[in-house]
Amino acid sequence: MATATTARSTLREGSLGTLAGTGKLLRFQARRTRVYLTGWFAGMIGGTLAIAAAFPDMYATPDERAQFATTVDTPAMRSMTGPAEYIDAYAQSGAAMFAHQMILWSTLVVAVMYILLITRLTRADEETSRLEVIRSQPVGRRADLAAAMLLASISAVALGLLIGLSTLVMEDADFTGAMLYGLLHTAVAVTFAAITAVTAQIAGYSSTSNALAFGALAFGVLMSMVGNAQENAAVWLSPFGWAQETLAFTPEQNWVPIVVAAVVSAVLIWLAFALVARRDFGQGLMAARPGPATARAGLRSIGSLSFRLSRGLLWAGIITMVLLGAAYGSIVGGADDMFETLSETQRQIFEQEGASITEGFVVTISLISAFTATIFGLLVIGRARKEETGGRGELLAAAPVPRSGWPGSYLPIALVTATVASVVGTVSLALTGVGSMGEWSYFDEMLIGGLVHLPAIWIMVALAFACLGWLPRAGWLRWLPWAYVFIAGYFGPILEFPDAMLSVSPYEHVPSYPVEDLDWLPLVVLTVIAAAITAIGYMGVRRRNLQFS
Amino acid sequence: MTAVIRTENLVKRFGHVTALDELDLEVAEGQTHGFLGPNGAGKSTTIRVLLGMLRADGGTARLFGSDPWSEAAELHRRLAYVPGDVALWPGLTGGETIDVLGRLRGGIDKRKRDELLERFDLDPRKKGRSYSKGNRQKVALVAAFAADVDLLLLDEPTSGLDPLMAAVFNECVREVAAQGKTVLLSSHVMSEVEQLCDRVSIIRKGVIVESGTLTEMRHFTRSQIHAVLKNPVRGLGDHEGVHDLRTEGLEVRFHVDGTALDDVLAQLAVAGIASLTCEPPSLEQMFLRYYGDELAAKGVDNGNGD
Repeated sequence: MATATTARSTLREGSLGTLAGTGKLLRFQARRTRVYLTGWFAGMIGGTLAIAAAFPDMYATPDERAQFATTVDTPAMRSMTGPAEYIDAYAQSGAAMFAHQMILWSTLVVAVMYILLITRLTRADEETSRLEVIRSQPVGRRADLAAAMLLASISAVALGLLIGLSTLVMEDADFTGAMLYGLLHTAVAVTFAAITAVTAQIAGYSSTSNALAFGALAFGVLMSMVGNAQENAAVWLSPFGWAQETLAFTPEQNWVPIVVAAVVSAVLIWLAFALVARRDFGQGLMAARPGPATARAGLRSIGSLSFRLSRGLLWAGIITMVLLGAAYGSIVGGADDMFETLSETQRQIFEQEGASITEGFVVTISLISAFTATIFGLLVIGRARKEETGGRGELLAAAPVPRSGWPGSYLPIALVTATVASVVGTVSLALTGVGSMGEWSYFDEMLIGGLVHLPAIWIMVALAFACLGWLPRAGWLRWLPWAYVFIAGYFGPILEFPDAMLSVSPYEHVPSYPVEDLDWLPLVVLTVIAAAITAIGYMGVRRRNLQFS
Repeated sequence: MTAVIRTENLVKRFGHVTALDELDLEVAEGQTHGFLGPNGAGKSTTIRVLLGMLRADGGTARLFGSDPWSEAAELHRRLAYVPGDVALWPGLTGGETIDVLGRLRGGIDKRKRDELLERFDLDPRKKGRSYSKGNRQKVALVAAFAADVDLLLLDEPTSGLDPLMAAVFNECVREVAAQGKTVLLSSHVMSEVEQLCDRVSIIRKGVIVESGTLTEMRHFTRSQIHAVLKNPVRGLGDHEGVHDLRTEGLEVRFHVDGTALDDVLAQLAVAGIASLTCEPPSLEQMFLRYYGDELAAKGVDNGNGD
């Protein structure tokens, strides 16, 4: 009896009621996510450093920046960057220009990072009953959420600090501005962590929780774009808008948006804590709806099943590529105006081989679109591997389905997904591009300029499939070629990669239509190589052991 | 009788670990064959080699006389499989999953499917991610029993099922067996195997250590005897087939090897028997006997002693 009383009282004294055990869980969660956090930190800080280091050289003098500022001050360009106050500060400070170009995209990445982190630590653990083991320990009902939010907040502060310090490599960057630039990242990170803490209580499954949080993210991006294009208060409805309204590195810099973010986050966190104590363990506030008792008639082959399981990626690809195409297409028309502002040397670079500035711009945009469309093909291949490690494929591998059907059917689906994403993005670019130029004659050029990249995309997808066939455990190997090719294509010219290093990339061999003539030979060769890699991939898939958990 | 499953000197290695070490397994047509062994003994590995998911490193495996690796897809038309740990697609309902798996083998008997859903008391409208372990198991069981196949490979199929559903499962296996279909049933539940199986193979560290009918196996293992005699018996403890002898006046208790039963009973009859009970070993006792040394090392009584 005496021991029982002691045990109970120590539990009470050493605890905070429903928050008991938060400290221990925080250490545990920090340990579990150290690889995840390290990866994202490295990417964010490396990216900031690299771009901040390269930025001053691109527009070195106040004159060049002032000229560039006049081309950026259009609704379309503002929607892709940020408020006009930055543009006014271009001439004075290269750092202001850097902040203007970077904030939306940089904070977008941070938002994605924190949405995934919080769902992973809360709803995903609850769904897989990992949290059940933890909750059976002497920890409070709110401790895991509290630990997750603490981890998010602490890491967000550290990330903001490091990003801020990274910007100091720019000569124009002052310390206060750098701290504000870092802190606005912290603010966006904490805000989206708080949003996700709420969606994780509403949704019963981690996929739904992520979907709701990404919905909030899309709304934020849209409001920022609309608000900045039309210069109205819609910006203030968006966490990204708050980040932009800090006006970091400009003379008008403003700390109020940080306070707004802190207040909104506090309210959301309070709401999440109220909800977590109110609902049952393992349940969301959204009731699960029953589905169909029988499969639809179309769901009858291994191909249709694999497609059904990965069609979400196809839709994600289509939406992303349409938006990307429309965003770029809307500024194609301004390319010639932009050209007017360039210095004599810069004109020469673009004017090579007698091509127009618009045509050069189309080539660059098409390449970026092709890189992006490839991602969706690689993601489909990743799904095939997930089916295997998740053990679901075991039911299919035991069915009368050859290896070419499972996991083989994922290759055609990946190819179709990447192809459709690319075609849709190209059409979107061509249509909006024609609209912004007011001239239909460019439609064909832009369409073909995009479609010529397809054979290169096919090679990348086939390569990922071959890795699945021969080295299935090395998931990173599926992404390494893409990362290399992206760096070579995007930064290679700036970093002056030798030709041999560039020519490894299939995208290097795609004719730069409409700047160059359309040469069919490389396209045929690339397609043949893609087919050969596909055959090698199928050989690997046929001969290896399947690895179910 | 032809063998539906036959492996000879089957070897499977994972890196340095030899999971199957010259395994010989034979299951004849129409048999319900129990496959026993502790976790990690190689039961699931054997089944996955037979399904062509894993490639053998040595020896041969034959399913219906064909190579399960190269003829996998064709052979799978004739069999259904229930994995030990069923993972379902989170976004597909149980009903959709059962239908898809059925259609992959060319169609599903709707009447049979609905009947099985009813018997297993399974709601087909729930999404895969919201089923409990037992219900996931039921989805795979309904899909397997609804299929018109010659062979069922069941890897610990009742883990996670409640006793009521385990009884339904037993009934389903009996029906399938009555139709002359072959069943390989890997299990930890001894009573289930004792009730359902004609033959049993015991696997240990990748080797089949014992295979036979339960009667055969009992013959080679020890029965427990409790007798009250009319006169004292002498020399019983000297008999090499007698173990753990305890005598209290005219009452004797001991274990006796199946092979020594004739001799020992004759010896008792000479002394005169007032009452006698002879308990054959349960499958559990036989099973534990094969793992006796392992259990002894862990400080557990092997169950055959006192």
